[in-house]
Amino acid sequence: MIKFDRFTLGNGLRVLFHKDVTTPMAVVNTLYDVGAKDETESKTGFAHLFEHLMFGGSLNIPEFDTPLQLAGGENNAFTSNDVTNYYEVLPKQNIETALWLESDRMLSLAFTEKSLEVQRSVVIEEFKQRYLNQPYGDVWLEMRPLAYQKHPYKWATIGKELKHIEDATMDDVKAFFKKHYCPSNAILTIAGNFELHEVKQMVDKWYSDIPPGKTNNRSLPDEPIQKEYREKSIERKVPSNAFYYAFKMVNRTHPDFYISDTLSDVLGQDKSSRLYLSLKKEQQLVSSISAYITGSIDDGLLIISGKMNDGVSFETLDNSLWKELEHIKSIKIEGKELTRIKNKIRTSKEFQDQGILNRAMNLSMYELLGDAEMINDESRHYQDITSQELQIVANNIFNKECCSLLKVIALKND
Amino acid sequence: MIDRITRPAVEKINSVEFLVPIEYSLTEKVSLFHMKHVPNDTCRLDLYFDAGKITEEKGIASFVNGVLLSGTEEKTSQEINEVINGLGGYYDSGVSIENAVISIYCLKENLSKIFETLMDAILNVSFIEKEVEEYISDSKQRFKLGLEKVSFLAQRAFQEVLFSNDSRYSKNTELNDYDSLSISDLKRFHQENYVKGLTKVVIVGDVEKNEIDEIIQLCLPICSPKTTEFTGDLKNIAGKKRIAKEGAIQSAIRIGKIMFNKKHEDYLDFIIVNTILGDYFGSRLMSNIREDKGYTYGIGSWMSELSNTGYFIIATEVGHEVKDETIKEIKFEIDRLQRELVPLAELELVQNYMLGQLLKSADGPYAMMDLFLSAETHNEDLDFYNLAIKSVQEITPKRIQNLAIKYLNWESMSIIIAG
Repeated sequence: MIKFDRFTLGNGLRVLFHKDVTTPMAVVNTLYDVGAKDETESKTGFAHLFEHLMFGGSLNIPEFDTPLQLAGGENNAFTSNDVTNYYEVLPKQNIETALWLESDRMLSLAFTEKSLEVQRSVVIEEFKQRYLNQPYGDVWLEMRPLAYQKHPYKWATIGKELKHIEDATMDDVKAFFKKHYCPSNAILTIAGNFELHEVKQMVDKWYSDIPPGKTNNRSLPDEPIQKEYREKSIERKVPSNAFYYAFKMVNRTHPDFYISDTLSDVLGQDKSSRLYLSLKKEQQLVSSISAYITGSIDDGLLIISGKMNDGVSFETLDNSLWKELEHIKSIKIEGKELTRIKNKIRTSKEFQDQGILNRAMNLSMYELLGDAEMINDESRHYQDITSQELQIVANNIFNKECCSLLKVIALKND
Repeated sequence: MIDRITRPAVEKINSVEFLVPIEYSLTEKVSLFHMKHVPNDTCRLDLYFDAGKITEEKGIASFVNGVLLSGTEEKTSQEINEVINGLGGYYDSGVSIENAVISIYCLKENLSKIFETLMDAILNVSFIEKEVEEYISDSKQRFKLGLEKVSFLAQRAFQEVLFSNDSRYSKNTELNDYDSLSISDLKRFHQENYVKGLTKVVIVGDVEKNEIDEIIQLCLPICSPKTTEFTGDLKNIAGKKRIAKEGAIQSAIRIGKIMFNKKHEDYLDFIIVNTILGDYFGSRLMSNIREDKGYTYGIGSWMSELSNTGYFIIATEVGHEVKDETIKEIKFEIDRLQRELVPLAELELVQNYMLGQLLKSADGPYAMMDLFLSAETHNEDLDFYNLAIKSVQEITPKRIQNLAIKYLNWESMSIIIAG
């Protein structure tokens, strides 16, 4: 049970406080309800580029990192298609430094042309390091537009192409800040050994004078229901052929979400999973195979991916894979298998809740989804899943007409 | 209006509370360390073996480590995995230069059962031919994948020049090594280094004493009687080496030299020098090469320790077209540490940052155990970290400059550029 208190400031800032008396550290987590999905298609990669610029100085503070390090703390941030999340971890006695820094950059950014130029290059190098200069690094750049045709999930957080980042202007960036970075669009979570009244007093001090800003009423295009099988092949200089099957699944708050996640575990979580045992151990078609979900807020994807053994055709692989998928649709998952999956979920959940930073981030995310209290229902959702529910959802998901397949064909070196 | 210009007062960290695990001696050399204060049901168990990469050639150490759960005369790999996964356990294993580690993460209620299955599996692994062949094939694929990465190519080349005078340390696994492996070699290695190779047991979790006793009973017969001679005498070949990688749009850079470990009198002060240079976000390398020039997504330096020595390394991946400029800037930053005294404001920042990070490293039973092990490996106790605090508090700019001059001579560095 993760306990927390909640209060809202006059400017609309939602605040969560999670008390942990066992740690000498404090966490300040700020989640902004803005992600790559809020970009326009001709200017992608912005939410993420922007995250970098958030460290380039704010209205009253020339540089973000220095004062935090001086307070013995460290910080980081990440951007996804859905959200942008910033956090500081520092000794609890110095928490005001983090609040001072975060509140000032919520008030107004003040980065320079130079900062934009430098972060632009840094992000371009990140693009190269993680997506272009890695074997199989660009599959998500290819997969997204195949699986999504209308919804902005069709581009990756890093951006559709390097050019969008190269072309970003100061005005673009400023407009982005104005639109998305304000108290009414943020969730602040504080964790550590404090009393609620202390937290209220500190948060009020640093945040209450920030103008509320406009709530971002986004209207994203719905992804039309996929009605046809899609397939794309790309040739790359990689050591072996690889496959990425993407099946449409429900959104994050749909009751089937947890069931879909569990199905991905049944298929490809570990060395006891069905696809590993059948396609690898028994038939020796693949060197690796796994299944997982993207976990996005809007309708997501269940992915089955792997690398093929030399000499195995895509057709053979496809036949064997669909045989397993038909099996999961027609025969109920029961007994020992279901217990195993649930036991693993329990262990992983317990470990996740171990760290104070994780707890703070998860609380923020659930609050964004509607109610931070949902964090305490998560385990029950998984443990209550029945064989019948798994079968029904498997029948909803594993259909050829809602599947997109990306094949990576290995170009041989000679 | 509140004052947003003046930064809030900062309280310095003057001491850190360390928690000592309970030690049970299994033999004169082998101990079990138990950290009991875990406020939830999670638990971790690590088994350390004297079965590191230097133990034998041709990648045998990594190979045996990779097939430990591949089946016994009585049980298939599937059956073993089914028990561990069925009880909600996560298995992990890895080989470093001088040792091998196997870990289990699970809920404490399942520890004993998982441990029993694990011990049976790893002690009685029978190296079934089909399993061995499958692992060879998978390893080859992973190896070929690695060859496509500039970071992998750079790391391999770096290891060769860094440990130049001792082939046990410097030799990399080659693709055809896997073809010349024989099952009898694997079996012999396993007998010598696992069945009689246990060097340490670690448990983090609120586990009862009688369970610990049972684990000890199962561990006693496999404790290592060996005294492995880890080298304390490694020498790197200084100078620059380029590894070509066609089509690479980034280059991986590794720069470093043989240094020392915790046992050396200059270690504690030198890690402060290292932090200033490259071991935090505001470090000089990050400030210059990422935050001023935008050449890279990240650059860092750190000290890596072996049993009887250690090395210093700087690593980054940069745009192919700025690789030489990057090396020039790295040299500039090292020269600057040797030429100029570190300003007091920067030193104060690094001091506060390092103490804050030490506080974090001791936060929670898992972090605390890792902190403890990092000292214990070098026969130090937790008092080592009190010395570290003292060293951070007392270091002077002059001392930093002297250490930079003494240890960071550019001409002594091995430099690898891949891509």
